[in-house]
Amino acid sequence: MAGIKAKAKLKGGVVKVKAMIKHEMMTYNMAEKKTGSRDNANFITHLNATINGETVLDMSTSQFLSKNPIFKFQCKGIGAKGDKVLLVATDLKGKTYKGKAKIK
Amino acid sequence: MERRKFLSITLGTLALAVVPASVKAEDYRKLKPTVWTAHTVDEAIKAMYGSTTLTMEGVTLKAPDVASNGGAIPVDFSTDKDVKTIAVFQDANPEAAVLVVETNKYSVNKYSIKIKMAKSGTITIVAEGKDGKLYAAKKTLDVALGGCEG
Repeated sequence: MAGIKAKAKLKGGVVKVKAMIKHEMMTYNMAEKKTGSRDNANFITHLNATINGETVLDMSTSQFLSKNPIFKFQCKGIGAKGDKVLLVATDLKGKTYKGKAKIK
Repeated sequence: MERRKFLSITLGTLALAVVPASVKAEDYRKLKPTVWTAHTVDEAIKAMYGSTTLTMEGVTLKAPDVASNGGAIPVDFSTDKDVKTIAVFQDANPEAAVLVVETNKYSVNKYSIKIKMAKSGTITIVAEGKDGKLYAAKKTLDVALGGCEG
């Protein structure tokens, strides 16, 4: 389950989630400079978070997020202490990264 | 309220002709590929929302005035409007789009992310309201060390 580190905290009915995806986030320009081919670019293209099977975050992203990008987001009306937040990220090559956090 | 939301979701799904109604993830990279290749902010906004008429209110954007490291610029944005999607654009990199968030009924619409910028530029946040208006906020910042060339 390597790939995403996450923390989730419930406070005042709002679940605050902090997640870090371990990823190079290689842009097209960087790939060209380092490896000589734009095709080697690779970055997270989609991030999805669910609590109890319900989607709480849907994010489509491009190469301009930082290396090892950090996301913070909040949701309400769902989740109790002990529930798990599941995170799935997909990159340009189709590889998926998973992570989970227990709501504290 | 539930019903209204259900209706709007269903209509949205139909309009976009996405497969089963239970599919919640709308991948904007597949749905609107032109957004991600647009080179200017205006083009990208137009590709995403079909219009570039922005209402400069309702969106809060927080970013440093001077970023010492262009490789990781913290950007916080939030909105209190009832919105469908929120998109982040900037004009310092070869392409304009950074990300698109699709909100749902659990969203608080407060996000923090870190982005890369190759040089000084302007970050634009556009939130598409359920009333059809495009709420936006802009912030221009200086980048001391560009972060895109590695």
